[in-house]
Amino acid sequence: MASMNEESTPVVRRETKNSISVDFEGKLTFKERLIQKLKEANTWITAGVNVLKFILMLGVSFVILYPFLARIANSFMTQADVLDATVSLVPKNPTLEIYQAIIFENNYFEGFINTLLLSLMCAVIQMMVSCLVGYGLAKFKFKGNSIVMIAVIVTMVIPHSALQTSIMKHFASFDLATVLSWQYPGIIELVTGDALDLTFTFWPLFILSIGGLAFKNGLYIYLMRQFFKGVPDELEESAYVDGSGVFRTFFQIILPLAVPMMITIFLFSFSWQWTDEFYHSLFFYTDDPQFKVILMPDMYTQMPPSLIPPNGYGAKTLYYNIVQNTAGMLIIAPLIIMYLFCQRYLVEGIERSGIVG
Amino acid sequence: MEETISQETTVAEQITENAAEVVENDEPKVEEKPQRRRRSASLEKKRAMAGYVFVLPFILGVLLVYLPILIDSIWWSFFIRSYVPVDGVMTEVYTPNYFNFYINAFVESPSFVTTLLSSIQQLLFEVPAIIIFALFIAVVLNQKMLGRAAFRAIFFVPVIIATGLMDSINGADIATGQTQAGIDDGTGASAGAGIINMLDVQYIFQSMAIGGELVTYVVGLVNNIYNIINYSGVQMLIFLAGLQSISPSIYEACRIDGATGWETFWKVTFPMISPMILVNAIYTVIDSFTRSSNPMMVFINGQTTVDPHYAIAMYWIYFVVVLLIIGVVAAIASTMVFYQRKD
Repeated sequence: MASMNEESTPVVRRETKNSISVDFEGKLTFKERLIQKLKEANTWITAGVNVLKFILMLGVSFVILYPFLARIANSFMTQADVLDATVSLVPKNPTLEIYQAIIFENNYFEGFINTLLLSLMCAVIQMMVSCLVGYGLAKFKFKGNSIVMIAVIVTMVIPHSALQTSIMKHFASFDLATVLSWQYPGIIELVTGDALDLTFTFWPLFILSIGGLAFKNGLYIYLMRQFFKGVPDELEESAYVDGSGVFRTFFQIILPLAVPMMITIFLFSFSWQWTDEFYHSLFFYTDDPQFKVILMPDMYTQMPPSLIPPNGYGAKTLYYNIVQNTAGMLIIAPLIIMYLFCQRYLVEGIERSGIVG
Repeated sequence: MEETISQETTVAEQITENAAEVVENDEPKVEEKPQRRRRSASLEKKRAMAGYVFVLPFILGVLLVYLPILIDSIWWSFFIRSYVPVDGVMTEVYTPNYFNFYINAFVESPSFVTTLLSSIQQLLFEVPAIIIFALFIAVVLNQKMLGRAAFRAIFFVPVIIATGLMDSINGADIATGQTQAGIDDGTGASAGAGIINMLDVQYIFQSMAIGGELVTYVVGLVNNIYNIINYSGVQMLIFLAGLQSISPSIYEACRIDGATGWETFWKVTFPMISPMILVNAIYTVIDSFTRSSNPMMVFINGQTTVDPHYAIAMYWIYFVVVLLIIGVVAAIASTMVFYQRKD
C-alpha cells in the first residue's frame, strides 16, 4: 500500500471504526528489505534441513523397526492364521493367546522380578566400579598404570564365550587365585577346607561385576577413563586448594560431571544383563525345579504347553519361531520403557558442568 | 583481631628471618634442598596410593579371578584330550602336546589364514563407516527436533539386539524367511532388492568418475546398511553421552564470536568428542572381531566340536592378532585425540 516516496511518515489507515493499521513498509530501504528476504530464506533453509533430518531419521528407524513390525503382527496370529497363505502381516482372527501363555505358563512375573534384581545389582556395581577404575587410570600416575590399561583392553578382546569351560569350572568350585584349580588349592580352600559351589546363585555375576570383568566391562572402564581424561585438571586442583581430599573431590566434583556417561553405562549393563543368555546357560542351566531360578531367557527357551500345536500341524517350526519372537518382544519391552525414562537424564544431566572463565 | 594480626606478623617475620638465614649461610641451604625433594616425593606417593585405591577392584579381580581362568584356558591348549579305558570305564587322559596345536593352526588347517585375512578386510571396510554413521546420527539426535525422544528410543533397540539372546531370535527369523520381504536383513541374499537397486547406485557414481575403489566402497555400504545401522547402536549412544558432556557455555561463546554451525562442529564438537572417537574405534574393532557372526569366530567355533583344545589354541592366536591390530588402530586414532588439559 505504501509508496516508496513517502519516506518520512508511515501510512495510517482506518480499517474499522475502532482499529487502525499502521504500515511501516515505506520506511525500509532496499538494502534492509533484501536482508529481511534473506533472513526469511534462511528460515526456509533451516526448515527444509529439519524436514530432511526428520525424513532421514524416519527412514533409519524404519530399517531398525521393520523386523519388529513383522514380529508384532505375527504375535497376534492363531495357529490357523499361520497356516493360511493369504494371511500376511494382518491376522484374520487376532488373539492374545501367545502373550497369555507366555505370561502365565512361563511365570513371566517371577522371571521379571528375578531378572530385575540381578540386572539392577549388576548394573549399579558395574557402573560404580568402572567409574572408580576409569578415574584411577585417567588422573593418577602410578607404577603399572599402563599395564592395568593393557589388562583392560585384554579383557575387552577375549570374549567370555572363548573361555566358557574355564569359567564354568572356576565358578562350580569357586576359589580365589587358584591356578590349575584341579591340582592346587586356593585361598578359600586353605581357610575353610572346601571350595564354594556358586552355580544357581547370582554370586558369579556379582563377583565378575565387582572385579570389573563382566560382559563388556572393559568397554565401560575405557569409556570412563577417556571421559575423565577430558575433564580439565583445574577442577581438581581448585578443589585441592580449597582443602578437599582426593575421594571427596571425586565424589562431589568429578562424579556429577559424569552423569551422562554413568547413565549410558547403566543402560548398557542393565540391558545386556537383562537379555543375557550366555551366563544363563553357564550358571543357571538346569531342569531340576529345586535349583531352578526363573530368568528372562526361560521365557524364550521354554515352549508354553498350551501352545504346542497338534500332531500333523503343517508349520511347526514357523509357529515355534513366532512364539519365540513374541517372548523376545516381552523381554525387551521393559527395557524400552526404562530407556524412555533414562534418556531424559541423558538430556538434562549436564547443565552445570565446565569451567567458567 | 589484633592478636591474630600480631601472630601473623610474627610468623611472617620468622619466615623472613629464616629466609635471611638461608641466604646468609651456605649450610642450611644444603639441608633445605633434600627436605623439599622428600616432601614433593611423598605427595606424589600419596597420589599414586590414591590411584591404586581407585584401581584396586579391577586389579584384585584380575589377579584373583580372571588370571586363573586365563591360565587354565592357556594350559588346556598345550594338551591333547583322549579317552582311554581304565578298568572298563572310559576316562579322560591329557597328554602334553606342547606347541603343536599352534603350529598346526598355520600349517595344517585349510582355511585358518585365509579366514583371518578376510575378517581383517571386513574390518577395514566396517570401522570407518560405523564410526562416521554413529557420529552423524548422534549429532542429529543431540539437536532439538520433532520426535527426538521417540527416535532416541528407536535407536536404542540395536543396543539391546547386540546380545546373544536377540541374536538367536533374529537367527531363527532369518532361517524361516520371516523378515525378508522388501528389506535387506543382513543375510546378503536379498541385499538392496527392496530399497535401492545396486546397479543404479553404481551407475550414478560411475558417471561421476571418482574411481573404482570408492564406487565399490559406497555400493558395499548401501548393501550393508542394515548391518551398519544395527552394529552402530552402542557407538551412537557413547557419542551421544559424549556430546551431552560438552559444556553449553562453550557453544554460547562460539555463537557470541559469530562462528557458524560448520565451524563450531569442527573447532569445538569434534575435538571435544575425539576421546570418544578413540573408544569407539577400538570398541568397533573388538566388536567386529569377536562378534559371533564374524567368519573367524564361526570357523573356530566349528573347530570346538572337533577338538576343543585345538580351538582354544586357535582362539589364542586370533586374540594376539586382534591385540596387534588394536595397537595399530589406537596409535593412528590417538594422534587425533584432544584432551582438555594444560600440558
